[in-house]
Amino acid sequence: MKITVLLSAGRHPVSARPCPPAVELQALRLASGLAADITGLHAGPSADGVADALGHGLSTLNLLTIKGDSDPLVSLAATLKATTPDLILAGRQAQGGEDSGLLPYALARELGLPILADVVRIDAGGEGLLAVEQVLPRGARRRVVLRLPALLTVHPAAPAPLPFTFAAARRGKITQLQGVDSQPPSAAPEERPYRKRPKLIAKSAAGASAADRLKAATEAAAGGGRLLVNPAPAEAAREIITHLREIGVLRR
Amino acid sequence: MSRTRRDPRTERALHLVAGTARPRLDRAAAPAAASPTGRPRRDPRAEVDSALVPGPARRRLDRTLRQTGLTGQTGHIVHLIEPEIALTAPPRIVVVEEPAFLVAAVPDAPGGRLTAHDRQVLGAARLLAEGGGAVVALPGGPVEELGGAGADRSQVLAGESEFDPEGRAAALAAALRRLKVRHAVFPETAEGGDLARRVAAALGEPLFAAAESLTARAVTRAARGRRVEQRATPPRLVSLTADAVAAYAGAPREAREINALGEVAAVPRAIVSARVVPADPATVPLSEAEFVVSAGNGITDFERFRALVAALRATPGASRVVCDAGLMPRAAQVGASGTVLDATCYFALGIAGAPQHLQGVARCEHVVAVNTDLHAAMIERAGLAIVADAQEVMPALLAALQAEETRE
Ligand SMILES: Cc1cc2nc3c(=O)[nH]c(=O)nc-3n(C[C@H](O)[C@H](O)[C@H](O)COP(=O)(O)OP(=O)(O)OC[C@H]3O[C@@H](n4cnc5c(N)ncnc54)[C@H](O)[C@@H]3O)c2cc1C
Ligand SMILES: Nc1ncnc2c1ncn2[C@@H]1O[C@H](COP(=O)(O)O)[C@@H](O)[C@H]1O
Repeated sequence: MKITVLLSAGRHPVSARPCPPAVELQALRLASGLAADITGLHAGPSADGVADALGHGLSTLNLLTIKGDSDPLVSLAATLKATTPDLILAGRQAQGGEDSGLLPYALARELGLPILADVVRIDAGGEGLLAVEQVLPRGARRRVVLRLPALLTVHPAAPAPLPFTFAAARRGKITQLQGVDSQPPSAAPEERPYRKRPKLIAKSAAGASAADRLKAATEAAAGGGRLLVNPAPAEAAREIITHLREIGVLRR
Repeated sequence: MSRTRRDPRTERALHLVAGTARPRLDRAAAPAAASPTGRPRRDPRAEVDSALVPGPARRRLDRTLRQTGLTGQTGHIVHLIEPEIALTAPPRIVVVEEPAFLVAAVPDAPGGRLTAHDRQVLGAARLLAEGGGAVVALPGGPVEELGGAGADRSQVLAGESEFDPEGRAAALAAALRRLKVRHAVFPETAEGGDLARRVAAALGEPLFAAAESLTARAVTRAARGRRVEQRATPPRLVSLTADAVAAYAGAPREAREINALGEVAAVPRAIVSARVVPADPATVPLSEAEFVVSAGNGITDFERFRALVAALRATPGASRVVCDAGLMPRAAQVGASGTVLDATCYFALGIAGAPQHLQGVARCEHVVAVNTDLHAAMIERAGLAIVADAQEVMPALLAALQAEETRE
């Protein structure tokens, strides 16, 4: 099986130094578990930071050199149309660029491939099929069988990346290819230093005092509280079970 | 100006009992006229008497005046908070007959119920629809209470099977095209965020992903590893993070069903089969658990507590006192210095409800509490509060659950 892992030029969340985003290294690990022919692919002006992926279990990295502000989508689509990998893995969201998580979707559209998000496990599922596990909220999982070729994005809950080894990073090969330069998108949004915005606090009005906020945090959420004073234990148990069934948290 | 002067003579005359030869005064009787200042006099003794809580041997006062319906007999069911709706006439439904433009909101609505995040998405759509627009909700299945959350129109756009993101995204893209919506707002959740990106790719339009603030004039989001804030006028497609915009709080709207089905392009489907594996409640992290049963200092029998948690298929939690004593692992601690829950239901056994603990359950929709103390803060917070010994309620609950199982 031929697998391409899309690697973006990330920045470390704390030090802001160039490094590959953790979720893309996790994608690499998922790929290396499949015993396949793996290539990394990056479109950008240089391999700064991205090259570190070579120490995490990648042997070949293809670098499509494009100007700093051109759209990587065009180059990536052109290359992937030519190489036709069976499986393309990407991160859920880059870290240090636009960070919108939109590129894999746009790429899948361009290539006419199906896309599945938030994968944490990949197993071979028979001829031309793949069995994957997708993360759902609240710790649930979804087991999906899908046809290849496909594009998957990896979730941070996937197994941790393989450890970095210096020798492997030295041994790894970087192939430089010429990418396609394109116009940067016309209406770029205005940018300013990041400012943390206050989260809404349930129910308390803006400018409410600390006492009001505490009250909002501790008051019955749904109103209409019901109080049973000293019921028989059996009656209390019955009331609790009916209430839990009504809410829908207690299932048969 | 100075206060009007008291006139002791006329005040005394008001208390005079008529018809006796000797002048007699009845100080207990209310004076015929109000006091000269016009304010009714307070009667502190009567106020204290009415705030007395009957029952316990120790004298206790409840100054919130919420307990006036309580009679003190045991086994009585008392409605603590009367629903306010009963007092006022039902509010009028707002109708937008000829909207100038449409704003779409795409709630997740798992299980046909709007989440708090979904309500915020509808609230954001309402903000963008100010000035003659209408909000059209496009859920993936039938949902109640859309009108109350601020939707003027609604249309269910489902995929072909239970898990068909490709089909649903195609139907949604076609509907947005047909309705010529000015904006479409999605929740930035696993499902909503995926859908938003699929629709953006299908329409070939940019998506303003994970907006952290939204007004009719500007949206902002974090970029470049959260070092930069991008700001723009709201584009057509926006996905909204949780707790960024307040939910709609105005009069209910009609949520009239419309036909928004557009021409859906054929979608290639690659998914052969899909099966949801529910989380194992015993191992799911506390912050992700849906139903948490928690033990406090009022619990002594932890064997039984664990059996109850397993029987209810819930995730175990505890208060800090219990974790400090080593009776439950530290990872189970709920509260400000433990885990802040995101559960649907919290069931507290023998927990007093200290502010530090209640902060951990602030986001829980439903709370059930069992405590021996009627005045515990947890009892006040609970939707179903039971004043009883938790040690006795636990075996009763276990027996009831077992009886149900054997009956089936
Ligand atoms: C900085 C700081 C941080 C803190 N962080 C946390 C935190 O994260 N989480 C946390 O939980 N606490 C925290 N605390 C501690 C908190 O203030 C309380 O001390 C603690 O929550 C009390 O736990 P409790 O309700 O289990 O115990 P108690 O206060 O002892 O209450 C026991 C309750 O059980 C009832 N009861 C007794 N016997 C029975 C029975 N047989 N049946 C039914 N009910 C019975 C009693 O009426 C009482 O209401 C923090 C404190 C500080 C100072
Ligand atoms: N320039 C790039 N070259 C290769 N892959 C990329 C590039 N930019 C983004 N990606 C991939 O797309 C994912 C999502 O990126 P983004 O849409 O920018 O958040 C990343 O995790 C990468 O896997």
